[in-house]
Amino acid sequence: MSTAELPGGMAEAPRRSAGAPRMPMRWLLTLGFFGFATIVLVIPLIVGVLWSFVNPEHGWFPPAIVPPSLSLANWRAMLSVPEIGQAFFMSFLIAPIVTVLCSALALPTGYALGRRRLKARRTIELLILAPIILPGIVLATGLGSMFIRMGLSHTILGVVLVQTVVVLPFMIRIVAATFEGVPQDLIDAARNLGAGPWALTRHVLIPMVKPGLVAGGLFTFIGSLEEFVLTFIVGMPHVQTLPVLLWAYLGGRSSIFTYAAVVTMVLLAPTILLLFIAERALKQEYLAAGFGKV
Amino acid sequence: MEQVTVALPQSSRERIRRHEWLTDLALLAPGLGYLLIFMVVPLIQVILRGVGLLAIGEPSRLTLDFYRQVVENKILRDSILFSLYFALVTTAVSLVLALIVSALLQIQFPGRSIISVLYKIPLVVPSLVAAFLVLTIIDQGGIIARALSRYGIEWPELVHDRWGLGIIMVLVWHNVPIMIVILSAVMSAIPQDISAAARNLGATPWQVFSNITVPLSLPGISAASLLVFIGVFGAFSIPSLLGAPYPSAISVIMSNEVLERANWAQASALGTIVTAVSAVVLYVYYRLIRRQEAALR
Repeated sequence: MSTAELPGGMAEAPRRSAGAPRMPMRWLLTLGFFGFATIVLVIPLIVGVLWSFVNPEHGWFPPAIVPPSLSLANWRAMLSVPEIGQAFFMSFLIAPIVTVLCSALALPTGYALGRRRLKARRTIELLILAPIILPGIVLATGLGSMFIRMGLSHTILGVVLVQTVVVLPFMIRIVAATFEGVPQDLIDAARNLGAGPWALTRHVLIPMVKPGLVAGGLFTFIGSLEEFVLTFIVGMPHVQTLPVLLWAYLGGRSSIFTYAAVVTMVLLAPTILLLFIAERALKQEYLAAGFGKV
Repeated sequence: MEQVTVALPQSSRERIRRHEWLTDLALLAPGLGYLLIFMVVPLIQVILRGVGLLAIGEPSRLTLDFYRQVVENKILRDSILFSLYFALVTTAVSLVLALIVSALLQIQFPGRSIISVLYKIPLVVPSLVAAFLVLTIIDQGGIIARALSRYGIEWPELVHDRWGLGIIMVLVWHNVPIMIVILSAVMSAIPQDISAAARNLGATPWQVFSNITVPLSLPGISAASLLVFIGVFGAFSIPSLLGAPYPSAISVIMSNEVLERANWAQASALGTIVTAVSAVVLYVYYRLIRRQEAALR
């Protein structure tokens, strides 16, 4: 919108659309939004970071607004308390495997959904939407007993398989939406120039859907890192990922805020970093394809 | 001669059609096959186990005992009501907040691009982390309580409380961004001319919002509300962390039945109820989407 660049004095300029408020009003909006964001986002994040640096010898008891002293002791515990290190390793071992598995499963299916005339399309779409809609605890109840029988309970493979169920739909929908956006002309042109199915995939389709694949992969990776319910019920007690550990630290009356804060930061840093890196890839369309429209 | 030339394309068309069908199947097989094995099969097991079949560790028999339990046992009954309660309140509060924020985000203001990145942060924040972050603010030992205690004001217990206020606050924090994503996509599709015309005819910004923006975003509003409602209704981690000992959310009861009592059948009966509620909501969602698509055509 070009009106954003207009100085306040040009409020009567004919280009200004009737709905746009005057400049001081906009600054008021800026103030309001940033104030709101500070209260609900920035302060909780700062307090969370502070908790991870609290000196365990002095603690951080009410009514102190800031911790009396800071130290790296809790972060050092990350290395010395074996469970934190193991959970970190486990989470970042499982997430890439889930992402690769999901991409492999979603690419052909996403292509079929995005580009081909399908019979029973509605049913297929419903089936793909189902894991997003279905509460994790219901899936966990079904898969939990099934995996016990198959000997997959408490194994890394079992956790990879259950996590894939919940993140696969997002991947398929995002990939399908991207395939749908590839112009037919481009494919026809490649065919006319003699490209076979393999060359077409390799040189036209894959490069064209790369942004969607990156967005989908990101979703999948973060989804795997975050997944809790199924990992908890299928993986406990042998496969402990970071969310499961966080649950243990926060649960009960005597929550260990300091360790919880460390695990929180470890979980949060990569996801927020990825979000900022991928702001371009995570366009509204992909997000909407993931969550909203069918 | 002529017969042959007619017959040939027909049979080859048939062959092409079958070939096409096989290609579709081969392409769909990885994704759909996976979901069939690891979602549909367990789901069928849950439904069957809820009526006493496929029992684990005891003989199977067709029975409605586990559903009778849900009706007769006050703990189970209350868990369903409690889950419905916080799901409804969370959806309503999130919707109001998301509507206001999305409408304001349609206006150009300095720093808008920063805000539109910032508000997405909760989208990638795991729900347990969200619980921790909100806990450090609203808990009895949280920042607000600490700040108020200097002035002698006592902060009410919001976590592990009977009314699930802590649960609702964290769920709202977590779900508002999803709603904003959907609503602002719908709102940005509303032609600017309409609101500009209304403004020229003397409508106040509030009138534009309530008479134009909200009605025209109705498809997005319904979709976002239903998605959030279903997600919250079955949510486990936040209610299990921040809930009071009584009443518990239905998901918490289910995990207790599985992990503490190994009572898979009772958990399955509850799971079937949760699934049925979600399925009804999903059906409504699909109907709305279809009507929206029909309206666009």
